[in-house]
Order: sequence, then C-alpha cells, then structure tokens
Amino acid sequence: MPAIEMRGLTKRFGHVTAVEDLSLDVQRGTVTGFLGPNGAGKTTALRMLLGLVEPTAGTATIDGRPYRDLADPLRRVGAVLEASSFYPGRTARNHLRVQAAAGGFDAARIDVVLELVGLGPAADRRVGGFSLGMRQRLALATALLGDPEVLILDEPANGLDPEGVRWLRQLLRAFADDGGTVLVSSHVLAEVAQTVDRVVILHRGRLVADAPLEQLAATAGTRPVVRIRTSRAEDLRAAAAAEGAQARVDGLDGVQVVGLTPERVGQIAADRAIPIFESVAEVADLEDVFLQLTSSQEAVP
Amino acid sequence: MTGALRAEWLKLRTARLPWGLLAVALALAGVHAVLFDSNAGGTGHTSIESLATYTGQRQAITMPVEVLLFVTVLGVIVASGEFRHGTATNTYLSIPNRIRVLAAKSIAAGTVGALFGLAGAGLTTAIGLSFIVGGGHDVLLSAATIARYAVGATIAAGALAAAGVGLGSLVRSQVAATIAVFVWGLVIEQTIGGLYETAQRYLPYTAAASLAGAKLEAGTTALPFLAAVTLIASAAMAISFVAARTTVTADVT
Repeated sequence: MPAIEMRGLTKRFGHVTAVEDLSLDVQRGTVTGFLGPNGAGKTTALRMLLGLVEPTAGTATIDGRPYRDLADPLRRVGAVLEASSFYPGRTARNHLRVQAAAGGFDAARIDVVLELVGLGPAADRRVGGFSLGMRQRLALATALLGDPEVLILDEPANGLDPEGVRWLRQLLRAFADDGGTVLVSSHVLAEVAQTVDRVVILHRGRLVADAPLEQLAATAGTRPVVRIRTSRAEDLRAAAAAEGAQARVDGLDGVQVVGLTPERVGQIAADRAIPIFESVAEVADLEDVFLQLTSSQEAVP
Repeated sequence: MTGALRAEWLKLRTARLPWGLLAVALALAGVHAVLFDSNAGGTGHTSIESLATYTGQRQAITMPVEVLLFVTVLGVIVASGEFRHGTATNTYLSIPNRIRVLAAKSIAAGTVGALFGLAGAGLTTAIGLSFIVGGGHDVLLSAATIARYAVGATIAAGALAAAGVGLGSLVRSQVAATIAVFVWGLVIEQTIGGLYETAQRYLPYTAAASLAGAKLEAGTTALPFLAAVTLIASAAMAISFVAARTTVTADVT
C-alpha cells in the first residue's frame, strides 16, 4: 500500500476549481516532488490531505486512512505548511513545548529537534524576532518532533539561504533513505531536482505529469528547444503552436519553441515574413520541460 | 483530551497578552474601586451611596462590570488568535478533532477567566473593606454575602471567558469579535435593559454583573444565583454549539 494516496481529489471554492480530479500515489521510502507554479493548487491539495480543507470530491489518505482518522497523527505525519504559523511572542522552545504537549511527546525530544535544525542557540528567543529562514527551520523542527514516518512539506526551502537549502536536501534524502516518505512541494524544479525520486506536476489544479525523475529527464533530453528573438513574438508563437509545437513568449521579444527543429521554425518565420534577430537551438533541460508543462494545458504520459 | 488541555494551558501560560489583559483588568478594578469608594456618599457619576449603609458597602465591594468584558475578550483571543497568527494549522494538525480543541480552549479560558474574576473580586473587596473600616464604619455585610459575590464574580468571569471562546471561534476575526463584545456589553444590553426593564435581568452580561454584586435598575431584581449561573452557562454553550456546527469545522486555508 502506498504511504499516500489521492483519488479523484477535487476542491472548488465557489466558481473557482483549485484542484480537479487529482489522483496519485506516493511510495514509501521515496522523496516525491509536488511541483507547479504559484496558484497551481499544491497547497490546497496538501491541506486536503492533512484534513484542513474538506474535498468537494475524492479522497486523500495516509497509510490508508484520512488524516483525521489517524490514531496518533503527529507520530505518523510531520507537516510544514507555512513558515508564519507561530505566535510571535512565544519562544521557539515554548512553541515546541505546546506541540509536544498536544502530541504527548517526551519534552526531551524538543532539544533534539532544535539541535537537528540548527536552532539550539536560538531556542529561548521569541519567534517574532526570527528571520524567514529561522521560521522555516522551526517549522521543520515542529514537523520532526513526533519522529514521524511521513513528511509533507509545502515550499520548505522558502527563505532558506543556499547552505540551508543544501542542508534541507540532505535531511530529506537521509529521511527517505531511512525508510521515511517525503512529499515536498515547490514551484521551482531546480530546488528539488537533486533530491526527489519522482516528480508530480500540477498545473491549474490538474495533474500534468507523474513520472520518475529519470523518465522526465529522458523526455527532456529528446526534445529540441529553439529560442528566437523577434519583433513579432506573439505571431511566431501562434504560428509554431499551430504546427503542434509547445511555444511560449519569453520576455518582450523572445519565443521559446519546443518540438520543432530550428530549420522548421526558421521556415515558419520566413513564410510569414516574421523577422528573426537571433536563433539558438538547445536540448531541453528539466526546467524547460517543467515550464512547458506548466505553461500549457497539455498533459504528457 | 488531556493533551489538548495541556497544550491550551501552555499556550496561555507562554503568551503575554492574557497576562497583560489581567494586569489591565485588575488596574481598572483597583482604580474604579478607589475612585468610587473615595466619593461614597457624594454626588455625580463617580459616587456610590454612603459607606455607612448596606447598599453603599455592597457597591464598594462589587467588581466593576468592565472586568467581565475583559475576560470575554480573553476568551475571544484564545480562539481567534489561532487564526490571526496562523497557528490554527498546527493546532488542528496535532489534534484533528476540532470539537475537542474547542472544548479544551473553553475549559482553559474558563479557568483563567475564573481566576481573573476571583482576583478582581478579591482586589475590589479588599479596597472596599479598607475604605469602610478606614472610614470608621461597621461592616454591615456578612462574610457569607461577601463570599457569595466573590464566588459569583468567579463563576461569571469563567463562563463569560468560555463564551468568548465560542464567539472567537464563530467570528474568526479577532478585531470584529472584540468589538462585538464591547458593543454587546456596553451598547446593546444597556439599550435593551433601558427599553425593557423586565428583560434586563435575563441579559447575559447583566446577569453576570448581578452575580458579582452589581445593582440593577431601580425596580428590577436580579436573577437568583443558580438561575443566573444557568443563564450565563447556557449562553456560553449556545454560542459554542453554533460555532461547532459552523465555523469550527470550516476549511482552514
């Protein structure tokens, strides 16, 4: 049984559909990247998984049960949803004491997680004076307090400095290597590409990709990318899209075309008397694939 | 339930606002008592009857109704503060049963509110008795009467703090819920009580104030002790019930 299962998960807020018919599995002992641009529905999906938001339709379970039905939720699941969820006048240690009391944990665990996230020296400082990075670390300490089997993290790298991001990657990798399960969201693929085993990409509330990272990388390596500078960017984008390519306007005078050769793009431009100032042919990288997937509605197998 | 209660109690102990509120409420009670007791037998808005009379002595030891407004605000803060600071997410992740969280908050805030009431009544009584004895008057109030008002203030404050938790859960906006407390206590009840004297004693704040010893409008008698306690507790439970059926189970986005 997968550690995390979503089936037909849907959430509508009035006329706005935040998540639509989302189904996915997260296997044990893996790190799964839950990716998508801001507003893609990642946070809403994670909040439904954690019982904070009621789905309009579908189910979301952890170890086969809805979060609300887990007997000892904090020992099963550690979650980081927002780095600002702290009472500013409370110290880091007291914040964790509250969580430990609610979860029935040994208070000795507080110092362990504070040291683990590097907040030992700041334990008795009020959270109101913390930087965003320190708050992220405290949020992670909160998630790790119950020594859970599953970690669900929503944009945990926000506010972390490069050293902090590297530390986070190592922490998540080690957690999964020890048999733990991680579902980590981000709107930047590069942020998680070095850590994840599998990538799930969400766009406008819908699943557009669910594949092992290697498969996505292999897909990326076979796709030509042509970057054009032209004074008629929108015309060229529309013409390339009409030929079946994935194309998007990039900046004021740039067009990125995936799926057509440079020669074909040049011919399309020539046929329409579209001036080309610069043309660069590349092989798509993972980031290109991510951007393409999240700038169109097209799903990939 | 034990974990939820321990967590709520720790939240109260480790936050500054509740204790700041307690300090302000006690300062208010003290200033109010000194101001009125020193003008006993005089005229004007800040006077009470002579301390040589039973009524004057009763007024001297009565905790001001504003303290009860402060304890209700305490309850509001305990509940709505979770949404103001975004801590509701962590709270509901650790204890997904939201009704259990609401119950724990009501008990914790009710207990601290009762301590507020006891402290306010104790301070007001001490100041009142000092003025009575210092003025050379015999104490006409029996120990049982003084104890009754202190117990009444304690119970009333505890129940109103619990009602505040219900209100803060129902109206997640801390500012809106706090304004609602003061508008209800200082405007709506005063207006209804002024227009319909017979209804006055059935109004929650008025009933709470009378439990603490406050005198009602001339010609209106306070509810019996147990009836007043039942009325206030029922109001607190009714608000919490509505909150539990509506906003408490609403999405936390």
